[in-house]
Amino acid sequence: MVGQNGLKLAVHLITAHLGDLVAKVCSCLLHRGALSLQEVVRFTKLSISQAKNCLLVLIQHNCVQAFSVLLPGSTTKTMTQYIALFDNILHRMRFPKFLMVVKYDLGHEGEVLLEGLLQNGRLTFDQLVERTLSKTTEASASIREEMRANFNNLVHSHYVERCPKPEPFVGPDSEDQSTFARKRRAKTVPILSLEQQVMVAATLSNGERFSEISNGGKMTVDTVVADHHVATFSGEKRKFEALEMDQELQSAITENEVLWRANYEKFIQCLKKKACVLNVRSRLGLDASTILEAMIETIDQENVENKNTVFASMGSIIERVREKPGGISMTLEHVRTILVDQLLCHSSTEDTNTWYTIDLNDIIENSQNEEVETFIRARYGLEAYRIFRLLIKCGHPVETEQIVEITFIEKKNAQEILYKLWKDEYLEMEKVVMHGSGQTQLFLWKLNKRVLREHIIDDMYHASLNLSQKISQIAQQQREVSPHGDKKYQRVKYILQSSLYKLDDALMLFQFL
Amino acid sequence: MVLCIAEGAKAMVPQKRPRLGSKSGAALVPDEGLSDAERMILEAIRSKENMGIWTFDLKKLTNLPRGVFDKALRLLQQKGLIKCVVSIHNKSRKMYVAREFEPAKEISGGTWYSQGSLNQEFISDVRSKCLAQVTRLRIATIEDVWKGIQMSRDSKADFTLQQIKEIVQAMVLDKELEEVKSTGDGDFSAVPAGRPCYRRFERRAPIAGALSAIPCGVCPRISECTPDGVISPNTCIYFTKWLELDF
Repeated sequence: MVGQNGLKLAVHLITAHLGDLVAKVCSCLLHRGALSLQEVVRFTKLSISQAKNCLLVLIQHNCVQAFSVLLPGSTTKTMTQYIALFDNILHRMRFPKFLMVVKYDLGHEGEVLLEGLLQNGRLTFDQLVERTLSKTTEASASIREEMRANFNNLVHSHYVERCPKPEPFVGPDSEDQSTFARKRRAKTVPILSLEQQVMVAATLSNGERFSEISNGGKMTVDTVVADHHVATFSGEKRKFEALEMDQELQSAITENEVLWRANYEKFIQCLKKKACVLNVRSRLGLDASTILEAMIETIDQENVENKNTVFASMGSIIERVREKPGGISMTLEHVRTILVDQLLCHSSTEDTNTWYTIDLNDIIENSQNEEVETFIRARYGLEAYRIFRLLIKCGHPVETEQIVEITFIEKKNAQEILYKLWKDEYLEMEKVVMHGSGQTQLFLWKLNKRVLREHIIDDMYHASLNLSQKISQIAQQQREVSPHGDKKYQRVKYILQSSLYKLDDALMLFQFL
Repeated sequence: MVLCIAEGAKAMVPQKRPRLGSKSGAALVPDEGLSDAERMILEAIRSKENMGIWTFDLKKLTNLPRGVFDKALRLLQQKGLIKCVVSIHNKSRKMYVAREFEPAKEISGGTWYSQGSLNQEFISDVRSKCLAQVTRLRIATIEDVWKGIQMSRDSKADFTLQQIKEIVQAMVLDKELEEVKSTGDGDFSAVPAGRPCYRRFERRAPIAGALSAIPCGVCPRISECTPDGVISPNTCIYFTKWLELDF
């Protein structure tokens, strides 16, 4: 459940990127949930064509997904509804980071192609080629081949994917199911929100999503297999000709009609890993972060399913470490000591090779705790920080006297701090009345991690919104006062933008774990 | 500071604390030559043993006239038969405990308290001793820290293992020390695998929280801040100060 500040931030981003009218429709969908076109028109008081165009822009930029549902009371007739994709809207402020990821991995050529997709939302390969040709004077044939290779690299690395189904059908929810069936299902399968259900229904299979464009009229692996089956009942020559023709047709369709977009999921994974490496660097130093980076790269290479647990052999770690700057000077013993003593990896021996396992979620949780603790320390002071760390560590309700005893804080101060934290909804409090020789009231304090996480995320949305708003205001002032650029304005904008990027890094750690 | 530490150290020496219900301690105190009022007050205080009694309750219990009560109480203190203890729950409340009893932890606060307040200087002295032990050993169990302190020459006080554990736990909360489970390997080879042990908390770079680094993260009025409200980022004075925006 997204808080009010999150929704305001999303609307602010759409206003800044796509204009007021589109933002109006987006705001309506964000606040009211899934709506039909008629409902959007009714709530926004826009004309049908305006609302339709706004929805098309939002769909084009992957901020809205259309889906069909059964009409109420009907078993066959369907209607189209539109739902805003909150996460995708927020990803818009991460585009520069996504571009950096691709630039680092695949170079400038990959970056240019991704930039085209990010700027336009969804494009066919042909449109991407046209976009590039309009900016260059080189021969189109050579550029097209080169672009196809670079584009396939992007698809192969899962940075780019085929667009999801335009209007998937989302079946009636568990409303019709019996209470017993619903209860049984709830125990085994996590309950998905409507947004998640729509996303799941729209997502193509992995084979389809990352099926590359064939080279010079040859088809992708999946299509060849599918079409080969159709062609087998004809004669050999006819089969070959049919296959060749089909290949050309298929290739033309893939290049002209298949829409592609950036795969945000992959970028978030990359940024999450980068955040882990950065956290380890600041905590344990450069050598430890180099070794962790090497471990992560080994699983990236092997395309392991569970990417949150890194499992790598000493041989592969050493191989990767040696390729890194400063890695050549690290001895085997030094790497082993860091893996065991600093990164606290679990080790096991298999086939004369030692394997090391590390859970990235532990590092992310550590980063989250550090972020919250630093925030609490800055806002409420050192003693509050100590109490907060105690409650995080305990995970169960703790009585005031016990807190005072463990934290070495004067009771009066502890009570004041606890009250402040509770009032600001960072803690939960429970009053217990004890009936003994007299009536005694005890106060139990607890930190609910889920509630705290939501609270911190909302605080971050609010701070990001404020920074974004300030950036817009400074840009406006700069246009009015000094249109040719003033160093003062540029400095202020730089501070605000770098703070926003940094804040967003922290936000991602909380949002996507 | 030296005085305070000495006081604290004195408090650390295990002292005889008669068990509840024991009258042996009381019997040793001579109460001949006491007036009836003094004897009555002394008995009332003794009956509360190490929990002590508040002046107001004592007055109610003995039901003596105010003048007589105040004089008798003063005389008992002068003769050293009772002592006044400041309660940690209410510093303005005077509690009285008979001489032969050591005030209970619930009243005096225990080892780490002096005159009803935390003895911060004494605590920080013990903390630095613990830190020195962990630094010396690199990786240490709680027993290692305790033994190291007990054996060190500068230690004038006897600490229990529990007391050292309390201090070390507080240091872990302050991120001065880090609690880790031994892997039994490398630096941990001296500690059996799986046992909790402590090492210095070291960071190569200071933590720069993204939220706490900007004014909104520490703003006391953030809950009232809205894009178009009276308090908004466009008019925020904290932003102006932070960005030095006095063009």
